[in-house]
Amino acid sequence: MTTAEQGASSEVVHLDGHVVDSLLLAKVLDTIVDAGATYEILELQMGTTTTDPSHVRIRVSAADEAGLDALLAEVQVHGVNREDASDAEFVGAPANGVLPDGFYSTTNLATWARVDGRWIESGRPEMDCALVVVPAASSGPSTVEMVPMHRVRAGDRVVTGWRGVRVEVPSRADDAEGFGFMTSEVSSEKPKAVSLARVATSLREARQRRNAGTGGGRVLAVCGPAVVHTGAAPALARLVREGWVQLLFAGNGFATHDIESNVLGTSLGVSLGEGVLAEHGHANHLRVINEVRRFGSIAAAVEAGWLRAGVLYECVRAGVPFVLGGSVRDDGPLPDVISDTVAAADAMRAQLDGVDVAVMLATTLHAIATGNLLPAGVETYCVDINQAVVTKLADRGSHQALGIVTDVGLFVGDLSDRLCGVESEPGR
Amino acid sequence: MTTLSWGRRYLLCRPDHFTVAYEINPFMHVQVHPDPAAAAAQFDGLVEALRAAGAALEFLEPAAGLPDLVFTANAGVVDGDVFVPSLFRHPERQGETPHDVAWFAAHDYRVTPLEGTEPFEGAGDVLPFGGGPGAAHGPVLVAGYRMRSTVGAHTRLAALLGVPVRTVELIDERYYHVDLVFCPLDERRALIAPQGLDRYGCRVLEELVPEPVWLEDDEAISFCANSVVVNDVVVMPSCTPRLGKILEGAGLTVVVAPVGEFLKAGGGCRCLTLALDVDLSAARHAVGGR
Repeated sequence: MTTAEQGASSEVVHLDGHVVDSLLLAKVLDTIVDAGATYEILELQMGTTTTDPSHVRIRVSAADEAGLDALLAEVQVHGVNREDASDAEFVGAPANGVLPDGFYSTTNLATWARVDGRWIESGRPEMDCALVVVPAASSGPSTVEMVPMHRVRAGDRVVTGWRGVRVEVPSRADDAEGFGFMTSEVSSEKPKAVSLARVATSLREARQRRNAGTGGGRVLAVCGPAVVHTGAAPALARLVREGWVQLLFAGNGFATHDIESNVLGTSLGVSLGEGVLAEHGHANHLRVINEVRRFGSIAAAVEAGWLRAGVLYECVRAGVPFVLGGSVRDDGPLPDVISDTVAAADAMRAQLDGVDVAVMLATTLHAIATGNLLPAGVETYCVDINQAVVTKLADRGSHQALGIVTDVGLFVGDLSDRLCGVESEPGR
Repeated sequence: MTTLSWGRRYLLCRPDHFTVAYEINPFMHVQVHPDPAAAAAQFDGLVEALRAAGAALEFLEPAAGLPDLVFTANAGVVDGDVFVPSLFRHPERQGETPHDVAWFAAHDYRVTPLEGTEPFEGAGDVLPFGGGPGAAHGPVLVAGYRMRSTVGAHTRLAALLGVPVRTVELIDERYYHVDLVFCPLDERRALIAPQGLDRYGCRVLEELVPEPVWLEDDEAISFCANSVVVNDVVVMPSCTPRLGKILEGAGLTVVVAPVGEFLKAGGGCRCLTLALDVDLSAARHAVGGR
């Protein structure tokens, strides 16, 4: 990525004619710079004689889409035209859940499609979806939506090819120092205090956005079972209790061990107090699952007074929604676990409005599953002892993820101390 | 001084139907009507001045309902036997084009329309400069854009005629055509009104014209640049003593032909004429780099 593209909306334009001798090229470039935008000359064919026209292709990048539109409208009078001035092409989906040939596959970036000469922003960005044009109702304009493959209905107007589609790279210019430093290659050799401070600041800013009531500011925690195994669950429960988490995604394992540790004091049979295997502890998680199945749901177990502490307990008490996605190796599973994975992903999607910070805690599968659903603009932190998890997340397209290679138990404890104050009681 | 290689044959149109019936420039006010008799007398004065300077004149038949047909400069661009008709920006003037095309077709010109639909207002926005004996370079078209014509139209015109174009931006709506800010006087001199141009346009013309004559504010707004040059005679709508001295010092003769009635519609001497003897073939034969 070049400097000009970074943190910007960009568009390729062209300028033809005797633009060098007429100083039109100079004027256009000056206008771009004066507007605070940047340019990159992609192609410059100078006329070889005075009568030969020159041809220039320029990529213009501005801080946001509105600024870019205004700038391009201003330079259009000087003969600058968008290279892609065509509408998005669409084809009806051939059957339910089947996309037409050549369908446009979305990224997690903010995306616009040109319909009837107007650029329309799609709904919440999600990678690997189709762009569907929803025709104008009797009143109101057409809309564009990102639709996962399985949800496409026969006849839906699915955008094909790349014409009339453009994306915006989220801007990080306002935080070049901290973020720029951290986004360098993931490494276990980064000072953890800096990362910790960054996450804490992020959560505080999210709280300010929530309090301001301007939309957004919801924080998502995505948890793997190691959160419980490493003893981080009480600190996470405290973060939930004190209002730092608004949404939780996890699987059967995390939920089971969270409950097991609070009902029986073990995690996967290992005593969290003493770190040794409890007698017949290997079956503890199955007994816990069985009990919750008897209650019918985690919320019912809380209601009955059987479950009295833990992350999920705090979620139920605080009304923080959680989505538990199942997998083929789940024991039980808990009654709240959605074992149809497509339905689970849909349930996660349904909760994502307003989420702009996501913290992935010691989980590979749920982190990648969530990363697939998140717009690139969501501040995403991936905390794992294993560097490969962070790399894997980025390789799946969630480039915005900031990796923190550390022990999740220590990290979450420190985070809750920072946000909620140091707890005096021992035993954490 | 080497006189212009063109400007000895013009097309005009008598003001039989001239009036101000709509407002498409800042000078037009439908409440302020030109006096028909005064306009006719001023037109006759212009005709007399042009003929006295040695120009041959042709006349286009006036047409009812087309009051601006008198401003023949906007009919199109002539190059040898090729006539490129205008694509008027305002619907009010688009009805003129069939009359212009009919006249040129009847006089054995090859009518060659410009591709596309972008507006382009003929010699009002495109004037040739240089190319004759004594010139610093081959012929170049000086074209104005933003108000009435577009860069795209000029680019297509340059390609069609095979002539280099210098496209300058008109930034003041009072100077809505390039013939209000630029007037070739001879092969090396031109009147330039910087008031209607941006700094890029001024620099372009500074590079192009070896001996520019820059107009003062009062000269620019009284349309001194909207003059007609026939050999060494400059027929002007008005002139100041300062400018008169400069022009006479350059070996030119100044003749003032008052056209105040036409100024009520935003047009001066140049607007009332279309040069029929422009020949840009030297540009097509020119070889070499920029």
